[in-house]
Amino acid sequence: MELLFWTSAALIAYVYVGYPLLLAAWARLAPRPPQKHQFPAGHWPSLSIILAARNESARLPVRIANLLTLPYDGPREVIVVSDGSTDGTAEAVAPFASRNEIRFVGVPSGGKPLALNAGVAVATGTILVFADARQRFTARALSALASNFADPQVGGVTGELILDCESGSSASSIGDGVGAYWTYEKWLRRNESLVRSTLGATGAIYALRRSLWRPLPAETLLDDVLAPMRVVLDGWRVVFEDQAIAMDRAAPDAAAEARRKRRTLAGNYQILAQEPRLLFPIVNPVWLQYMSHKVGRLIVPWALVALLVASIALADDRWLYSLALVAQLGFYALAVLGARLEARDRQTEQRFATKLPVAIGKEAQ
Amino acid sequence: MMYRAARVAFTFVMMNIAAVAGLFWLGRGRGVWK
Repeated sequence: MELLFWTSAALIAYVYVGYPLLLAAWARLAPRPPQKHQFPAGHWPSLSIILAARNESARLPVRIANLLTLPYDGPREVIVVSDGSTDGTAEAVAPFASRNEIRFVGVPSGGKPLALNAGVAVATGTILVFADARQRFTARALSALASNFADPQVGGVTGELILDCESGSSASSIGDGVGAYWTYEKWLRRNESLVRSTLGATGAIYALRRSLWRPLPAETLLDDVLAPMRVVLDGWRVVFEDQAIAMDRAAPDAAAEARRKRRTLAGNYQILAQEPRLLFPIVNPVWLQYMSHKVGRLIVPWALVALLVASIALADDRWLYSLALVAQLGFYALAVLGARLEARDRQTEQRFATKLPVAIGKEAQ
Repeated sequence: MMYRAARVAFTFVMMNIAAVAGLFWLGRGRGVWK
């Protein structure tokens, strides 16, 4: 039982403390920033911006306008792929049909991976840029992404997704926790990029060389991890670019965030089956980072349970184990308080959302 | 301060539960959009 206690404690401590410290030291002692630079006029690579969407007709006009008006000195095309949409997505794109840069591809409903495959199949740009309908890119996003491809070792670039909750301006009832987590996660990605490669990308904003693209299996849950990791496994770098920004909002509540995380973590399990090479240090150039960051996150929940069980079993043996048990119980009690706060916030928001139209209606009378 | 710590603790626990749930959910996610 003591072995279980110490193994679990060491694993949790390594994933959340040891690895970040190791990474910080590594990035400080041996940084390898990408050799990015601005291309000369007329030599910026051509971009194919791929926007896969299902029933996003309300958002698409604004989103397409955003992608068309971003400053970029090279050629670009925007490929909108509708994955079996039934809400008039084709009609929403129609006003842009006269523009040569816009292409519309309609495919039967088959999921996002197949929609992305369809978009890439018709792309002509040297660089593929992946985007979602909901977010907005900031002005420098395209040129910041592209400038990294001046480095011949760079096969992919992920931009930075900024959530409203990071600045405390979110209406999300779980904004504090998600904001803290996302800030920490991006710090890891930034440093992983600095030592070699990030372990995936942000689906809302990332770019790959078209020559490195391999069609995604239909059942893929995390296209934005599988596609970049294949590029890394082929010996290229995927780097983090914090000047390429997509803005988004956090999930509205804990239930929505839990669904999103469940899907993400399921995808992290799935990817190990899709690319078992990730588990072997000889073929995975970022094996240590992958095991520490991605696989570690899959093991930690089991280690937390094991640690609690071992602490309960050992609590009477030594004061250290009693202290560990008290600390864990305290932490979980804090989490229960957090759950109650989240539920209270959610109810307040629902009440406000219900009453507001009535109040506005009365004002108008 | 304590409320913020409580919210972060809740998010941490929720994410770890989601990781376990993700394992059991795997295989039923086809066609799900983010």
